[in-house]
Amino acid sequence: MANKEVLDNASLQRALTRITYEIIERNKGGQDLVLVGIKTRGEFLAHRIANRLEQLEGVKIPVMAIDITNFRDDVLNHDDSLGLNEEEKTNIADKNIVLIDDVLFTGRTIRAALDALIHIGRPNTIALAVLVDRGHRELPIRADFVGKNIPTAQNEKIKVFVQEIDGRDAVEIVH
Amino acid sequence: MQRHLILEDGTVFQGLGFGAPATTFGEIIFHTAMTGYQEIITDPIYDGQMIVFAMPVVGAAGIHAEAYESVKPTIRGMIVHDLAEVSVNRQRRMNLDRFLKQHNIPGLYQVDTRQLIRHLRETGPQKATIVDYADEHAVDQLVATVLTNKQVQNTATPKPYANPGRGRHIVVIDFGLKHGILRMLGDYDANVSVLPYTATVEEVLTLDPDGIILSTGPGDPRTLPESVLTLIRVLQTKVPMLGIGLGHELFAMANDAELMPLPSEHHGMNHPIQEIISQQIFYAMQGQGYAVDETTINRKKLFVTYRDLVDGAVQGLRHREFPAFSVQFFPDAAPGPLEATAVFADFFETVEDYVEHYNQY
Amino acid sequence: MSNITINTNIKKLLFIGAGANDFGREAEHDAAIYQVMPELRGHGIDVFVIDENPYALSLESLAATSFWQPLTVDNIKMIIQANQIDTVVPLFGGEASLRIWAEVVQSWSHGDGALPNTLGLSIDMLLKVNNIPAMTAFMADNGLPVIKNYVLKAQDEANELLRTLQLPLMVRALHPNQTNTRHIIERLDDFEAAIHLAKSQSVTQEVILSRAINGLKEVSLEVLRDVRGNKMQIGASEDMDPIGIHTADSLSVSPILTIQDQLISRMRDYAFRVADMLQLQGIMHVQFAVDDDTDKIYIIKVSPYIDQMASRMALATGYPTMLVAMNLAMGVPLEAIVLPHNFGPQAAMMEPMMDHVVVKLPVFPFGELAETGIHVNRQLNSVQKSVGSTLGFGRTFIEALEKAIRSAHFNNASFSPTNMAHINDDELIQQLIHPQDNRVLLLIEAIKRGYEIDELAELTAIDEFFFHQLQHLHQLESEIEADADSITSLKRGKKYGLSDGLLARFWHTDFKIIRTLAQTNKIEVTYKAVEPSAGEFPENARQYYATFESENESMQVAEDAILVIGSGAFRMGDAASGGYATTITMSELHRLQHPTIIMNNNPSDATLLPHLADKQYLEPLEISDVMKVVELEQPKTIIIPGNRRKLIRALRELGQQVVILPKEKHTPGGPDENESEFALNLFFDGEEVYPINITQHMAGEMRVIAPVNAMPSTLTFTALENPGVYQIIWYERTVLWRQAVDFTRIQEASWLRPMPFGQIAFLTKAMCVEWLRLTIRAALHELTAQDRTLLANVHDWVIPEPIAIVAADVNYRLHLQPSEVIDGTRFEIGVSVSDYGRS
Repeated sequence: MANKEVLDNASLQRALTRITYEIIERNKGGQDLVLVGIKTRGEFLAHRIANRLEQLEGVKIPVMAIDITNFRDDVLNHDDSLGLNEEEKTNIADKNIVLIDDVLFTGRTIRAALDALIHIGRPNTIALAVLVDRGHRELPIRADFVGKNIPTAQNEKIKVFVQEIDGRDAVEIVH
Repeated sequence: MQRHLILEDGTVFQGLGFGAPATTFGEIIFHTAMTGYQEIITDPIYDGQMIVFAMPVVGAAGIHAEAYESVKPTIRGMIVHDLAEVSVNRQRRMNLDRFLKQHNIPGLYQVDTRQLIRHLRETGPQKATIVDYADEHAVDQLVATVLTNKQVQNTATPKPYANPGRGRHIVVIDFGLKHGILRMLGDYDANVSVLPYTATVEEVLTLDPDGIILSTGPGDPRTLPESVLTLIRVLQTKVPMLGIGLGHELFAMANDAELMPLPSEHHGMNHPIQEIISQQIFYAMQGQGYAVDETTINRKKLFVTYRDLVDGAVQGLRHREFPAFSVQFFPDAAPGPLEATAVFADFFETVEDYVEHYNQY
Repeated sequence: MSNITINTNIKKLLFIGAGANDFGREAEHDAAIYQVMPELRGHGIDVFVIDENPYALSLESLAATSFWQPLTVDNIKMIIQANQIDTVVPLFGGEASLRIWAEVVQSWSHGDGALPNTLGLSIDMLLKVNNIPAMTAFMADNGLPVIKNYVLKAQDEANELLRTLQLPLMVRALHPNQTNTRHIIERLDDFEAAIHLAKSQSVTQEVILSRAINGLKEVSLEVLRDVRGNKMQIGASEDMDPIGIHTADSLSVSPILTIQDQLISRMRDYAFRVADMLQLQGIMHVQFAVDDDTDKIYIIKVSPYIDQMASRMALATGYPTMLVAMNLAMGVPLEAIVLPHNFGPQAAMMEPMMDHVVVKLPVFPFGELAETGIHVNRQLNSVQKSVGSTLGFGRTFIEALEKAIRSAHFNNASFSPTNMAHINDDELIQQLIHPQDNRVLLLIEAIKRGYEIDELAELTAIDEFFFHQLQHLHQLESEIEADADSITSLKRGKKYGLSDGLLARFWHTDFKIIRTLAQTNKIEVTYKAVEPSAGEFPENARQYYATFESENESMQVAEDAILVIGSGAFRMGDAASGGYATTITMSELHRLQHPTIIMNNNPSDATLLPHLADKQYLEPLEISDVMKVVELEQPKTIIIPGNRRKLIRALRELGQQVVILPKEKHTPGGPDENESEFALNLFFDGEEVYPINITQHMAGEMRVIAPVNAMPSTLTFTALENPGVYQIIWYERTVLWRQAVDFTRIQEASWLRPMPFGQIAFLTKAMCVEWLRLTIRAALHELTAQDRTLLANVHDWVIPEPIAIVAADVNYRLHLQPSEVIDGTRFEIGVSVSDYGRS
């Protein structure tokens, strides 16, 4: 069956724009702000938001990417590095972090990311931005910045396409 | 019948009269839009003004029921090159000429409007009068006339009214609202309450709005009472807010920014406007003699979101701490490009977000 | 400016030209390519171009390496491989070029090496655009309003659809083998024949059937999109004639006058969405059908390439369309486009506005054909019949219309306002319902006879506005006619664009008397600039049109300027040669550093390209129009094609210095099936005659056959006056190509004539000798010593490769249904090259 587009290119751009504005509102000027994207698509979204902040404020906000595939509570053999180098790890300390992912679902990915960030870097605050919140949380986790709430059935899949790897920007429900 | 347009600087243009045979005074400006003459002449932002159209032939699209921006137009004159008499009205044979007659507005056609526009672009807007005879008496009259600066009072509603819907509750503060804003709110099925600009904070918040719109309006916002700015300062901290046109200028003033007259007024829809955050370019209907002076913006409170790439004028602002923003251009696309209506989508997404967060806390 | 990425991988870029001229294909593509090539060269890109058309100016440009070859898949592949082409631009060559490039792409195999990059559209989208049903389905999937297409192969499938869809129906060929034509079927009797015809035009024998939407308004929008997805609208026009008449045959008006903003805004939005879907980087023309009673809109055609609308809009608005389109195709964002200094800094990003009206009037070949006794089907329908068009610029619709009519018919008495008086009422109604080329006169006639406007609007599906305008014109004309020699009437007439000639006819006098009357009463023409800001900003305009207003904006451009009189619309016979000759003339004047002024009104050739002249007058070419410009500009010299005899005489009477480009009054006919036309070609520099070579012309093909070893001593050339290329013509009954000729025939039956421009274009390219430029230099006494050496030796030049021109495969039958065979020389439309020696 055909996929259903729930966010087209223009609305995806607008969602990122609004998230950026809201980040400015909450952070009062963006001091000590660090964007952390969860690989793969969260990283590209983090860069997009950083670009937007730069266009508006003329300052470069640090962007990092973390890989938590080896850090989930359902995976043994934790790798603590998250793919960050030593310099990046120290740069997290006392910063206001906005964690960025494409889809918020059960919350397990985010929980793993939170654990890891607190474990390695001791940031000041952590906020969460997601492009899509599809519901079905299994943990008490809530996003501070949401591009779009898309109620879904358990058996549906949400697919986020980004220009950088998929050649286009869109969000689709895959049946 | 031959009639005359006299400018304050003494220049006289000859043409043929249409519409009402009245003698009027007003500030004369020129408009370069090639569509939407009906929306333009009924837009309250042009209250008390005379409009010269660059569009060579005006009237050929008729007068349409769905193209009114106010029920009663209050411009003081319309100057065109060629007038067409086409009627699309089912009930009566209504055309542009008859429309202006009905509203006692004089028109002048067969004027060298290109010469007039080239003249006005050098002098800027000035007082003008449409008369039968261009004699000394008429010139003296023009010089002696003081134009009103009470345009908002003339066009804004004195009493609250509702435009009910089943969606979010939006309060519109009316400074001389154009219908396009209500039409857009209708597209989102908003439940709309329109309040006069003299409304108090109490009156607005009692209605428990999900969002507030500061409407478009005519004239110089600096002539409005300080209470308007106080109202905005309080409301912006409580509910998502969108200012448009005059509403944008007031939003800027409420947050310490100052206005400046534009070096040349801009009325048209062909300037590229850039959304700074995304670098995207789009086009929108614009009608402005003033702009926010960027050097006076308090960066702790506001930042610039849109800019006109031709004259560099600020076209949008956003508050740093609250979900409050504003645009100088007209995002209701009445008339004008539809791409500008994305501003309303932004506003309603902000409203949704506010409603959801409000419930969660 | 941030993040600007200009594609630096482009090193060797190939333009695929549009090929031979045909119905719907004049010189607009060649003009666009010719205009942008020097810009690319300026960016350090090696530019290549292939075209088969002998009139292609791009092939003569110094900015490119050119290939004058038939446009075949093999030739294109060979050029790509031999020159390591990395980038191909089919979009500037239009639909034909897009189609052949798609063929090249589809036949590209592994062994062919790396496939060059296509600018403007991805290969996917390119193939989609070429397939009408796929494109329609694509748009429907994206929620855009289109009319459903049904693809079918067999007649019985068609019959089935006929019952469900109802008449009228539109029939087209799927994968057409040449020009794509649309047929509207209104009567059951025509159904089978139309299906059969469309099948025969399809490579796959398949037909597209859809519901026809006759009677709706046809609207065109021209839009741009850049690599970042920014979009803008750069022009719009509406057709006076409803859908059912081919848009090229329609009278079109810019800006759109009769449609309200909300509908136009919706069309703009749809066009932008199509551009986004295609991920277009460049220019696109979208055609719509609009029902402004029900506010319904349909997208009927998407053309993401240069076409006549693009070149017409460029001229109508003054927006630098082609330069911007090329930049966009190369990936330069709108914001970063750098334009020549005469444009304002933000000119590329500002949507052009118009404070004038432009009327496009089609030019039909019926009159010329009728003069030779050939009758054709004159009824306008969905198959194009016009061969060219002219533009009229004015401040009102009527003024623009009058000027377009004068531009189209400057030597055609058939367009007289009294022409329709003989027609009876039944015929009148018949023709209102089934319009012909003369419908503007017919509409006026109907108004004269007192038909109500409502009634006429209903009968013709033409907007009421146009009838009000024509009624106004009729009233004006009758009042003026009744008010002979009155200054007030003269003033009114002038204001609405009536010519001295027409006023003279009304008042039974001579146009010179009218001119004097206007002069002594200070009824002066004023020129207004065509510039895209509609007066908002100070302009640096070069384009002007005449009107009667209070302020004149045009000042003398230089004291020693040369005025070039163009040749107007593309016509059968003259074909593209008039525009070719005018453009080369201007290019040469520019090279010789003469300040140049051009007067012309053809939107579809290169004569009005902005960089070729210091000033342009977008005007009709009647004597009175030319005189006005001459009075203002006081040119040093005026260059005129030799067929404008009355104009030449009038200018000489005024003591103007005139240079004549030798040309016969009528395009000569060609040989018939069992004979050959031979020509001894000569160049005359004003003093001496230089032999060039011998050409042989058989029906449909011409070759250079031999050098001139010795001139026949019997020839004298006392009749020659103007420098130029001439030929001595004789006929022989032979259908064999000769190696040499026998001059004895010259004594018996031969005559001297100026060489037709088309043959000059052929000889120029075949010999690599620029004959027109030599003509201009000779006429201005600026021949160089090098030129004289060349002329003295040219008679024994051997053409390096065997080359010929052949008549293009123009389907006269489809377009015109002529009563007898049309002489393809006298009524030439297109020519192309044949490399007969190679195959």
